[in-house]
Amino acid sequence: MANKKTENGSENRRNFLRLGLMSSVSAVAGASLISNLATGEEKKASGEKVRVLTPDGKMVEVDAESINNYPEAVITPEESRKGIPDKKFVMVIDLSKCKNARKCVEGCQKAHKLDDHQEFMKVQLMQNNEEGSPYWLPKPCFHCDEPPCVTVCPTGATFKRDDGIVLIDNERCIGCKFCITSCPYSARTFNWGHKEKFDDKSQPYSPETQVPAAEGTVMKCDFCPDMLRQGKLPYCASSCPMGVIYFGDKNEDIVTNGTETVSFSQLIKDRGGYRHLEHLGTKPNVYYLPAVNRQFPVERGFDVDEEILDRYKDVPIVKEFKEQGKL
Amino acid sequence: MRTKIYTLIFVALAFLINTKSFAQEVNLKNYRVRFGLSTTKQADNSRKLEVSYIASNKKDRKDRVPIYGADINFYNVTEDKDILLGTAKTDKEGTAQLIVPAKQAYTANAEGYINLKAVFDGTDALDSEEDELAIKDVFLELNLKEIDSVKTVILNAYTLDSLQTKIPIDETEIVFSIGGMISNMPIKREFVSDGAFKFEFPEHISGDKNGNVDVFASIIDNDNYGNVIQKKNIDWGINKQITHETNKLWSEAAPIWMYVVLSILLIGVWANYAYSIKNLFDIKKEGKELELKSQNEN
Amino acid sequence: MDVIKRKKELVQEFSPMLEKSTKTSKVWIAFLVGVILVGLVAFVIQVVKGHIVTGMRDNVVWGIYIINFIFFVCLSYSGAFISGILHFFKTPWKNSVSRIVEIITVLSLIIGPIFILLCIGRLDRLYYLFLYPRIQSPITWDIIAIMTDLLGCFIYLYLTFIPDFAMLRDNSENAPKWRQKLYKTLAIKYYDTPTQRETLHKITRTMSVMVIALAIVAYSVLAWIFSLTLQPGWNSSIFAPYFIIAGLYSGVSVIIIAMYLIRKFYHLDHYIRKVHFMGAGVILLIISLLFGYFTFSEYFSRWFSHKIEDVKLLDTLFNRYFWNFIFANYIGVLVPVVILFFKKFRTIKSVTFAAVIAILGLYMNRYLIVVPTLESPYMPIQDTRPEYIQYTATWIEWALSFAGIAAFILFFILIMKLVPIIPMSGIIDHEREQKRKPHLSNNH
Repeated sequence: MANKKTENGSENRRNFLRLGLMSSVSAVAGASLISNLATGEEKKASGEKVRVLTPDGKMVEVDAESINNYPEAVITPEESRKGIPDKKFVMVIDLSKCKNARKCVEGCQKAHKLDDHQEFMKVQLMQNNEEGSPYWLPKPCFHCDEPPCVTVCPTGATFKRDDGIVLIDNERCIGCKFCITSCPYSARTFNWGHKEKFDDKSQPYSPETQVPAAEGTVMKCDFCPDMLRQGKLPYCASSCPMGVIYFGDKNEDIVTNGTETVSFSQLIKDRGGYRHLEHLGTKPNVYYLPAVNRQFPVERGFDVDEEILDRYKDVPIVKEFKEQGKL
Repeated sequence: MRTKIYTLIFVALAFLINTKSFAQEVNLKNYRVRFGLSTTKQADNSRKLEVSYIASNKKDRKDRVPIYGADINFYNVTEDKDILLGTAKTDKEGTAQLIVPAKQAYTANAEGYINLKAVFDGTDALDSEEDELAIKDVFLELNLKEIDSVKTVILNAYTLDSLQTKIPIDETEIVFSIGGMISNMPIKREFVSDGAFKFEFPEHISGDKNGNVDVFASIIDNDNYGNVIQKKNIDWGINKQITHETNKLWSEAAPIWMYVVLSILLIGVWANYAYSIKNLFDIKKEGKELELKSQNEN
Repeated sequence: MDVIKRKKELVQEFSPMLEKSTKTSKVWIAFLVGVILVGLVAFVIQVVKGHIVTGMRDNVVWGIYIINFIFFVCLSYSGAFISGILHFFKTPWKNSVSRIVEIITVLSLIIGPIFILLCIGRLDRLYYLFLYPRIQSPITWDIIAIMTDLLGCFIYLYLTFIPDFAMLRDNSENAPKWRQKLYKTLAIKYYDTPTQRETLHKITRTMSVMVIALAIVAYSVLAWIFSLTLQPGWNSSIFAPYFIIAGLYSGVSVIIIAMYLIRKFYHLDHYIRKVHFMGAGVILLIISLLFGYFTFSEYFSRWFSHKIEDVKLLDTLFNRYFWNFIFANYIGVLVPVVILFFKKFRTIKSVTFAAVIAILGLYMNRYLIVVPTLESPYMPIQDTRPEYIQYTATWIEWALSFAGIAAFILFFILIMKLVPIIPMSGIIDHEREQKRKPHLSNNH
């Protein structure tokens, strides 16, 4: 009986993989073209609760997994080392559109089951000098092509795949934290103590989702390969209301923010795209479009919880605003 | 008064605790139900029929609840009877999808429109719903040709009348796009008149690892035609071979020189240890012989 | 026959040190055991509750554990280095200090790595280091270096112990049975025959060279754990030699302090004499000057070229860590230099005082290399949780640190109960040498 079930499972998984990898087959690609135009459709994340109405008129909240089409489609740690064939993922973040709405942070935290202050995606307030114009900088992991974190890992727990994604296998990680000290972008976090959610094994562990997390191991932004396999955007990109985050495959030279799909190279060329701290030679796969011709003044981002606002107290503009009593 | 508050708290608690196992009765009067049918003719000439069935709160526009697990019947409506095309259940997003194979023959009316209908039969709690759609079956002919070494995209769009004569479509917006992993990239939008359009294929389109590109031509959400998608694959991409680097600092296997240096160092040092230990055994052996000798003398 | 008699004499001279336990030493041992037990409690708490009980958080992921690690391991490497040099160059007064140095070497090499283990989040997976090794990682190099060095030092230490074990075996008829047995096994039938002596000398000599080479490699690897990262305060090409000098600085200081304490408690004024302190003092002077020079050029180049990240780091050092910086890099260098530079200031006590200042300064110097760097990363820390912005060690970390020091002292005392702290064989060798060339006679 159990045997049969696993057989079914692997069958389902194969189907799923096929679907994920050959997303340009007519059905999926066609559908995504249409969903591009049908904006406002919120994508429901797997791993969260969904509220639905049953035909007999009852409102029920169901685990998204329980009605997930592919519950067995977990990519094991071994499989997750390979990467999605022939892809090279790249992210472009348009700083001129960011207003610190923090939806990317929240979407990511929800999907990865992170606690309040544990953020894979951080929004930082940058001001390069006293006179410089302050801007909001959403900062995921840069998935570098020369990743110092991977170089220093003594057990190969963190690795770079052929599709450019840098992941962590928390079943391999010994928690030496060397990778955290070697990342110049502070992209990594550590699970310092035990948390109840680590014991929830209802969802099998995969480095591609990093759920369930484990005590004494390292975590970071993973570019949501589980979503990419389904031909969907990472959670941060799909939850941004301003379309700040573009994501796509560098090989096919196409990036999309969910509403707009453009050529990656053209976008970088036209808008003066750059990489943060390029001089370090880590060759990030996250590009930024400079914060020019802003859609919002920077102070629109101050409309957040007091606790969040307090993070930025050392930035010159925040000090200035406080002196003027504007905050 | 007090009891009222207690009941309220109790209900609230019950709701909080048992959201999963207990269903909550809702007052459906507060919800407006949206039931909409759309259709897409796909590249392989099959037709996708899709129903979106969602209840949305009249007061709170953000409160949208999909209806999950409802049976939807899809029909081709003719003058005398409704022909059942198939049945599908709505998913967690409130969407029911039916793919009608290309070989399905539809019955059109006198003006050449195919009438399609989606029906939800209703339950004790939910009213029955239906939505109807009339579209013409449109054919998109997509040709990719090099004319005088210029890569050209040629499109012909027409409908067929009852005598199978091609009637070119007019003033219809057609979007040309390049297939992508997550979504397709538009390269041209054009109102096509006389059913024909051609343009030069842009340079610098990557394509997949072999340089193959999916070129799409589509009509989107048109009153007369619904959605129509046509697709062709061609090796017009300029993608270079993807190279994977090995023996890097970050790869699984290290740069070769590291293995060499480490081996030399380790072998050198450990050989020395072995040599020292071997000498210690020599010392012991000599001592043993000495002991034996002195015993014999005694 | 003369030699055998002399051996007996020496064993008799040193055996009280091995056998008697004074009241003070008992109190001391009890105290040290107590400190270690507190450390064990702290360790259990850390294992049960996780690293959340330490002051380390996402920015400062390594705290005083890694500082203790560097401190002890560097101490060991410098011990190996010094001992190798003493042996290889047949330094005239080496005999009185060589065993102290060797014991320091091995003990700190056993205790040091325990502190790196305390930094590891998943001790249960430690064997993954051998199961899935990646040789690009400086941690892998460090593990290989430490293990190789540990074995090398053990062999080396044992080689220098053999002749003494043999003498103890032959001359401890009154000692308890277990002691006799132990000496018999450890002496591996060494009877000091000319061939045995020659073989032993030969391999001790090669091992002494090996130990020097290993120390240099191991030092560099340790420094590379820091300097191969991109962190502003760490990414420095002089870190490897800087660590060697810093290690020697702590090594010589610890030797001086150990000499002082041993001389005082075991009344070995005859063997550990003023000349040893003066010699060690001069060496410490040279090293402190070198250490000051390296420290200066390290910070000077950062300040002069003022890259933005370096400026941020220096700002942190000169504001939040002002007094720590002054103590580590001014007092910790200048006070020993001044004391040791003028001949009339050099007394046994003042040299020891200089050594204490040097050790404290150096420990603070290490703290300033590790913690402020991690507190000023490239991306500004924007957080509201104070423990994530600034590192403060918790009592757990301090308890374990002191337990490490206590263990070091305790093991030192225990080893001194097993073999005399002054190598008896060295005295015999020396006297033999003197007989052959009487004109060379000077001190031990």
